[in-house]
Amino acid sequence: MAKALVLVPFALDEAGIDNRRAQLKAVKLGPDIAFDFRPVTAGPASFMSPHDWALMDMAIFEAGLSAEDDGYDAVCIDTMSDSGMLPLRSMLSIPVISPGKASMLFALTLGEKFGLLAQWQPAILRNKKALAEWGLAHRCAAIESYDSPPDFSNLMSGKEDEVFPKMQAAAERAIAAGADVICLGSTTMHQAAAFLADNLPVPVINPGPLTYKLVETVLALGLTHSRAAYPTPLAPKREMIQAMLAAAAKVEGGS
Amino acid sequence: MAKVLVLVPFPLNAKNLAQREIQQEAAHLGPDIEFHYRTVKAAPSNYVSHHDYVLADLGMLEAGLSAQDDGYDAVCIDTMSDSGVSALRSVLDIPVFGPGRASVLVALMLGERFSILTMWDSWRGLYKKTLLELEAGARCASIRAIGVAPDNRNLLAGKKDDLLPMLLSEANKAVSEDGAHVILLGSTTMHESHAYLAEHLPVPIINPGPLSYRMAETALALGVTHSRSSYPSPVVQKDDLFHTMLDAAAAAEGRDQ
Repeated sequence: MAKALVLVPFALDEAGIDNRRAQLKAVKLGPDIAFDFRPVTAGPASFMSPHDWALMDMAIFEAGLSAEDDGYDAVCIDTMSDSGMLPLRSMLSIPVISPGKASMLFALTLGEKFGLLAQWQPAILRNKKALAEWGLAHRCAAIESYDSPPDFSNLMSGKEDEVFPKMQAAAERAIAAGADVICLGSTTMHQAAAFLADNLPVPVINPGPLTYKLVETVLALGLTHSRAAYPTPLAPKREMIQAMLAAAAKVEGGS
Repeated sequence: MAKVLVLVPFPLNAKNLAQREIQQEAAHLGPDIEFHYRTVKAAPSNYVSHHDYVLADLGMLEAGLSAQDDGYDAVCIDTMSDSGVSALRSVLDIPVFGPGRASVLVALMLGERFSILTMWDSWRGLYKKTLLELEAGARCASIRAIGVAPDNRNLLAGKKDDLLPMLLSEANKAVSEDGAHVILLGSTTMHESHAYLAEHLPVPIINPGPLSYRMAETALALGVTHSRSSYPSPVVQKDDLFHTMLDAAAAAEGRDQ
């Protein structure tokens, strides 16, 4: 039985984790793989500022550092920001799969241009950063916001009737701008994926479930990220990194 | 049980076809999906010229036209040129995956630059269309060929002892001299070299045929298919015309259909 560790980008309680774990129901997976969900020890409250991005990189990095020693065969990162992906790839040999870049590349297996859905205006900058970082801006037809501040714990529970039509309208604007494929701009949007797939004329990429299939795929094919692209450090600082996040958790009032 | 149709780019005998079918084993897919292989009725002798590419496109399109009506859930194309993929996507709703584009995009999930390892320089044209369409030329560190004419029927049979070290040498140069982070095998006909190269290379190497099978399975599991806006349907679809042309081609080549 292969085991994959999914890193959740906020220090959520069990109810919050369950809302993330529900993504497993959106995709057909084989019987020989299991997914464990682990929240970060501490981190930012949101994703909207370079302040947040720096903290999130470190938080996810620390949360996943022990994955290989803990017996996991792969790591998934539960955020379209791909926070922590590059540092984790520099320290782990097991595959580290994150949905941001992977969603866009997978979208390009289905069409020529994709559109990104953003929850609200502050999320647009993060998406533009990702496009620039991955060199994919020329393949993005549009980033469209549906103007609904994100709830990183409860996600969209209880707000479906209000938010789903706004998401559909935003996706339709992206399609009118030339998007052949729609990428949900956050794994927190996963509850809307089926509705959007039913109501849009183009494929919709549900990023979290995509990463679970990509983990299955790379494990089956014996692939992992390239060490040439993500070199190991001269002097790894595991204990220091773990101490930093333990101290951060104390500041935040956790254990 | 999901059924996937794999389109093979040459009319092959049973023995040669079996050498293609064995690629399934490297995909490690479970019991809920099966792969059926169908050869084209007629084909060019190799894929080195635009003369060949247009014949290849037509042959693959005709071979796959009935896939959806025949009850298949997806189609895979057994050539890195992705011949016929766009045309088939314009007439089928079920997922159609070629290994060329998928290999480039998955390589970029694992690193920032890739090299293509191929048999001879005459195959460079196979990759040009994919690299241009994806605007991925700058991500391609190199295309390295070992300078050996390929055998698209017998593949590497009887020649592995000579060819494997040559392939490994060029792949290592792609990494050390060209800066490749990932290696793509330049043809599904090279699949018999994959295990050896994967064991000996310091970077990931993509086995294109099995990758395309996993892409098809992934699309089915996620409930997605190609975008109709990228592959618009024809105003008038001409299935009978294509069947007639390929039957005539097969007859001209001396094959009964």
